[in-house]
Amino acid sequence: MMQKKICMLGSFAVGKTSLVRRFVSNVFSDHYHTTIGVTVEKKSVTVNDHEIVLMLWDLYGEDEFQKVRDSYLRGSAGYILVMDGTRKATVDTALALQQTAARTVGTVPFVSIINKSDVRSEWEIDERTIEQLRERGWPVLFGSAKLGQGVEELFALLATQMVSAPSCPRD
Amino acid sequence: MSTDPHRPHRDSPSSEGRTSLDEDWTQLRTLLLSPEQTQLDELRDRLDNRAVQPREISRVLPEAFAMRGETDQHLSKVLTPYVENGFVAAVRKSPRAIVDAIAPIIGPAIRQSIQQVFNEMVQTLNEALEHSMSAKGLSWRYEAWKTGRPFGEVILLHTLVYRVEQVYLVHRETGLLLHHVATGAAVVQDQHVLSGMLTAIQSYVRDSFGASQDQTLDQFHVGDWTVRIEQGSRAYLAAVVRGSPPAKLREDLRDALDRIHAEYADSLSAFDGDAAAFHAARPHLEGCLQAHYEPPPRPSALKLWILGGAVMLALSWWGLTIYQTHARWSNLLAGLRAEPGIVVTVAKSTWGAYHLEGLRDPLAKDPSAMVSEAGFDSSTVKATWSSYYALEPQLVSTRAQSMLQPPSTVKLTLEGDTLVATGSAPIEWARETKRLAPLIPGIIHYRDEDLVTRSVPDLLTQINQTVVHFSPGSSAVEKGELAALSSVAALLGQLDQAVFQSGQGVALEIRGSADETGPESINVQLSKARADAVRTVLGGERLGEATTIITDIVTGAKQRTPKRDSANQRIASLHARLVQVGKEISPP
Repeated sequence: MMQKKICMLGSFAVGKTSLVRRFVSNVFSDHYHTTIGVTVEKKSVTVNDHEIVLMLWDLYGEDEFQKVRDSYLRGSAGYILVMDGTRKATVDTALALQQTAARTVGTVPFVSIINKSDVRSEWEIDERTIEQLRERGWPVLFGSAKLGQGVEELFALLATQMVSAPSCPRD
Repeated sequence: MSTDPHRPHRDSPSSEGRTSLDEDWTQLRTLLLSPEQTQLDELRDRLDNRAVQPREISRVLPEAFAMRGETDQHLSKVLTPYVENGFVAAVRKSPRAIVDAIAPIIGPAIRQSIQQVFNEMVQTLNEALEHSMSAKGLSWRYEAWKTGRPFGEVILLHTLVYRVEQVYLVHRETGLLLHHVATGAAVVQDQHVLSGMLTAIQSYVRDSFGASQDQTLDQFHVGDWTVRIEQGSRAYLAAVVRGSPPAKLREDLRDALDRIHAEYADSLSAFDGDAAAFHAARPHLEGCLQAHYEPPPRPSALKLWILGGAVMLALSWWGLTIYQTHARWSNLLAGLRAEPGIVVTVAKSTWGAYHLEGLRDPLAKDPSAMVSEAGFDSSTVKATWSSYYALEPQLVSTRAQSMLQPPSTVKLTLEGDTLVATGSAPIEWARETKRLAPLIPGIIHYRDEDLVTRSVPDLLTQINQTVVHFSPGSSAVEKGELAALSSVAALLGQLDQAVFQSGQGVALEIRGSADETGPESINVQLSKARADAVRTVLGGERLGEATTIITDIVTGAKQRTPKRDSANQRIASLHARLVQVGKEISPP
């Protein structure tokens, strides 16, 4: 049985914990609880007839007061960048976090998701910005932890990429 | 000149000469180029025949597998389905061979597992036995009852110094679980999540305090548990310990971790999430599952002897008491069952409480008196007796005596179901008895053929005819007169019985007299002495319930009879008459 460490990265209150809880427990809460440090969750998925245990490290949200520390990222086989469609600034945070992650864990698979598609009319992130992200080579998905949209696809895509990618642990 | 030695020279002058030259050339070429020609032929043959030869592949296959295996896992992925199918086919075709192959591995593992479970069970049992009866043991038993936990577990927790309940082998960089072992008593949550959180906590603490990478979280406490962490270069061990672990445990964790790093160096450095390779590290982790319990204080031999003696004494006293009580109870029951007029139908004894039920004739002996005589407290014996008439001969006789009140001159005997009356009795009593006797329970027939019956007037007449003679100057009743007085006493008894039943009384006057010889005063005294003597012989002042005796003297003035001879004057005569009860009795 293969295990993979995945980090959830993004600005504060973009919905990292909600996505994880929707994926692991299929529940959602409107009440916001900020994550302090890290919460680790587990979920098994099947990719190409192989069972993979995803260890999901739900990191606290990065903001101007606290940056995500490298130590949490080490050993990740992949990561997910979460943005909030209603806050354009979360794209900048995601860009910065991607650079941090790439610097720390190297070239490992990652997927980005723009959360809160249930309030699409309130989005600040426009098509142009999304296009620029894709031009950078980012896989950009849309989803809603509240409605459960795009959540399974998000983790399935990352799991598939991790299985396909050659293992290249960094010392 | 041509450079090709194989081509024949076409411009030679004669054919013979050319033939000789060609042969020479051919011979020379053969001598010089024979090895190379052979190799060229082989190469041409290989190029012409492109099919792969198995022999050639067999030469390079092992090296090819090894080289590709070092590069990536693709070869394993390709071969896995075929290996699995082959294994399944082999199991189906020849399961015995598979069993023989894995038996040396599975057997010891099963034995070790069974032995571990058995050891834990024996230890729990031993602890339970050792603490079952002590004061501390009783308090722990109360705690077990209160908390709902098994008694053995409570004992182990109280005598526990420390016990390593879980050991985690975790990849240091990824926080992924490599292997995990736990004792049967451990509460194991999701070990994968726990190993991830352990790693995250270490990073969080280190970052929060600005510690460097070589400064690590070595241990932390949660309630009764201590989590000890031993760091290695690629992996770390986390031991979950209940109680206070000794310093030596850290050395043992260090040793186990060093061995794992030495044995699995390649697997640790190339770890990509597949922890299968670390299952073989289980013995190293199980070696860390240590436990130490407080040995129970051994009571001294003297205390044991005293305690044993006291217990034996108490048991002996208890047994003796039980035996004695049981014997007394048995004797009481035997006595009750042997007693006429008592029938025991229910007899129970339950831990000091006794219960009796049965039948009792009112004339039978009092059972409560028998219970007290047997040494039982009457409050502990609850008895319920229902009345009945017993038909035992002695009780029937007693009942007849009680109901018929026969005169003392009558003797009642029981012959089977027949009451027989003998002796003498007033005719009134005899008549009443003949009517009542068959009504008495236990008596069917009544016989009184041998009963002499007299009426009251007859009795009075017979008594009044009695005269007692005395010697001259004597007031002593002579022997010859005693028989007559005895008959008079019997008659008086019958008379008394007869008149008593009719509500009347009998006044018996005894008159003493003397002859005329001697002084008058002496004769008066002698007469009185003779009357008193007869009264004494008859039994005193009263003979029965209804009879009163009075004495008198007959002096010269009272002599009513004609002058008699002197012998007939030295007498005492009896005079009985009927009187009304309560009326003053005076000489007639």
